[in-house]
Amino acid sequence: MAFNTKNEGLNIESAPPILKKNKKKPFLFKLKKNKSLLIMTLPVIVFFFIFSYIPMPGIYLAFIRYNYNQGIFKSPFIGFENFRFLIQSGQLATITINTVLYNLAFILLGNCLQIFVAVLLNEVASARFKKITQTVMFLPYFISAVIVGLLAYNFLNYDYGFLNVMLKKLNLEPLAVYSTPSAWPFIIVLTNLWQGVGYGSIVYFAQITSIDSEIVEAAAIDGVNAFQRIRYIILPWLKPTFILLLLFSLGGVLKGNFGLFYNLVGNNSTLFKTTDIIETFVFRSLMINFNFSMSSAVSLYQSFFGCVLVLFCNWLVKKIEPDYSLF
Amino acid sequence: MFKSLKNMTALLLIVILVLAILTGCSQNAGPGGQPGDKSPSPGGDGPKDVIDTSEFVEVVWYHLGDPPTNDQLDLAAEEWNKILKDKVNAHLKINFIEWADYLTKYNLLLATGENFDMVNTASDWLDMWPNAAKGAFMDITDLLPVYAPQTWASVPEEHWDQCKFNGRIITIPEDQYTQWVNHGFYYRGDWAEEFGITEPIRDWDTLGLYMQKVKDVKGLIPYDVVGSKAHELLDYWFASYTDSIMLEVPGNIFYSKSYDDLYTVYSPIFEDTMVEMAKKMKEWGDAGYWRSDVLNYTGDTREALKAGQTGVDAHHTQTYASLRVEMDEKQPGSNLQMFPVHLQRGNNLIEMSITHGAQSVAARSKNPERALMVYDLMRNDETLYRLLNFGREGVNYVVVNGKRTRPEGFDETAHSFFSNFWGGRMDKFENALPSVRVYDKIGDLYAEYDKYKKPYPYAGFVFDKTPVETEISALNDVKARHVPPIVFGKAGDPEAAVEAFRQELKAAGYDKVLAEIQNQINKWKESRN
Repeated sequence: MAFNTKNEGLNIESAPPILKKNKKKPFLFKLKKNKSLLIMTLPVIVFFFIFSYIPMPGIYLAFIRYNYNQGIFKSPFIGFENFRFLIQSGQLATITINTVLYNLAFILLGNCLQIFVAVLLNEVASARFKKITQTVMFLPYFISAVIVGLLAYNFLNYDYGFLNVMLKKLNLEPLAVYSTPSAWPFIIVLTNLWQGVGYGSIVYFAQITSIDSEIVEAAAIDGVNAFQRIRYIILPWLKPTFILLLLFSLGGVLKGNFGLFYNLVGNNSTLFKTTDIIETFVFRSLMINFNFSMSSAVSLYQSFFGCVLVLFCNWLVKKIEPDYSLF
Repeated sequence: MFKSLKNMTALLLIVILVLAILTGCSQNAGPGGQPGDKSPSPGGDGPKDVIDTSEFVEVVWYHLGDPPTNDQLDLAAEEWNKILKDKVNAHLKINFIEWADYLTKYNLLLATGENFDMVNTASDWLDMWPNAAKGAFMDITDLLPVYAPQTWASVPEEHWDQCKFNGRIITIPEDQYTQWVNHGFYYRGDWAEEFGITEPIRDWDTLGLYMQKVKDVKGLIPYDVVGSKAHELLDYWFASYTDSIMLEVPGNIFYSKSYDDLYTVYSPIFEDTMVEMAKKMKEWGDAGYWRSDVLNYTGDTREALKAGQTGVDAHHTQTYASLRVEMDEKQPGSNLQMFPVHLQRGNNLIEMSITHGAQSVAARSKNPERALMVYDLMRNDETLYRLLNFGREGVNYVVVNGKRTRPEGFDETAHSFFSNFWGGRMDKFENALPSVRVYDKIGDLYAEYDKYKKPYPYAGFVFDKTPVETEISALNDVKARHVPPIVFGKAGDPEAAVEAFRQELKAAGYDKVLAEIQNQINKWKESRN
């Protein structure tokens, strides 16, 4: 994409002097010159305008004492008072750490597993088996979190759960999963992987299939075995995709998967120590206190630090490998 | 070039953003909806014929409860609308807020600013004061005498005083209807007798014994309760073991000491009784009186009781009165009994506030005048009152020997009728036609209550939570996290759990809120003298 733009905009001359010249050209001229490009980007601009920029003034909610009658812009302004709730509740550290750690686990484990699965799929010779495996792995992605929560409850609950019924039949001690906070990081991460791996591996698999077959053939003639092919051709080939996806997902590192957490854990506060994330906290405080402003304050905190984090990671990537940075 | 294109896009977006903010502002400046906007025309004391009803309007009320699944309400509405059209040139339509997560939906409805005219409210269970503070209800002080003269005249002045927020009336109380909403445990009398418990259960220990037997003899979960019930059970314990009186402060953490010491604010959570509860509940939890995973369980206890699948349920006396009749049908001979929790130690029974049921005009109502006129008729005109509360005679009920009963061929699904009008029921109309669907011996319980009941002492006290809103929110979050595990015995060592709970409350600003409530109570006390 970037190359195309350059060619069209710059005609044939070499880059640096033209860029300078270009800057002096009037705005309208540039507009005219890039007409078709602009038209092509218009739908995206409209999309982000409608869904990301129009709602943005709502951020103001976080700084007011919301009054139904007066609406958002007429309610009294109270500055950072709403943010005090975050600190006052004593949960800020717990929920932030939980959210970040869960997301790191999801992102890192998820991506590694997705790559692993994509590589394995690539090595499978039978096209039919490949299709079936893909479909089966794809399926959990489409199961709604509510159903996942129900499945988990029926599988894990103490009195009648599948797991404990089996354990009792085997004369083993049943496990009180729903009162063991330490078990939940594993359950949640596993569930997330189970849901996401099949879907995520598609991206990597597609990337693998786009490898120039000449390289692979040349390597085969040179006598590389399957492991060497994976190590020296496929994995390096996937590296840019990996970093790109990583960067994208890091932006959401403070955004939790609310559906998954809420449906698995619900209001079981014994587990909150290890399972409470920003989203569930916001939801709960909204449900208990019904205060839009405070919930907005929590969300704003989340978005703000998410943004800072993306900028930081991008800066870091730029330092190490400038080619891979997003912007 | 690529770079400049990006700059341009950024510029474009900034322009768009600025535009968005501007349009956002101007859109919002449009509709007014301030309370008091719709004050009656000057010289509001004029006679009724001055009121202009030439324009036909539809008045919309919101009631709490699951919407009817049959068309009986619509058919009754047709009847009452004929009368309303004649009298005030208006129609009345009733919408419902479903039970599931009702408080959230209720608050959302008020928050969205949807156009409706009246809504059910309550100071103790529907966040009336917080919503009044957020401007959800219209000031009807000046409208009432003109547009709801019968109601205005029938509600005594001291009752109106209890409906005032910042000196203005914001709701109409259901003050002429007797009901008891003190809570208690329901248990099956037939099973208790089978287990050798012949005396009515009047304490938690005997209830525990009963539950143990349900588990041993019947092999059922004795009390198949859901996790969210924890907060109520804590309230029950305090009602049983302390003389405290709950204050209408969000979160149910703060109480006054006793009826003799009304102006000392404290919280029983910091008393020994909290530890005792934690210990007892740990015992019960370990003994399996509820599901091990009660905190994640979201079933329906009452349905389980009706199906004979559990032995205990808990709610208030009013519910008991009708549940008893239903249980006699569904589990014949079950002899459902109630253990009102205050009986543990005797007589800590406070009459409910008259704003347990109330009806308010929504702040954004377009026709508050007509809404009040309709309300006045529905509440005070016997024909309309019956249509609204009992349905159509001959279809939904028949009168036999002066009692309301079901007609021949009554089909529960097709003919059951309810409108959930809980903002203005009247004893005079209810008692004129008592229902056979209410337990006929409920009067015995009422008579017992009447012996020692005490009037609600905090009528008119409205806590202004603005100065400590942050702390209250934080306290509520702490309570939401700690109470369920403690109450269901899932928090490990009871003493340590209670201690952790108390410390987090302290850290969340307990002392500051306590001081603020105490301060406001003192001021209120002074203002009354």
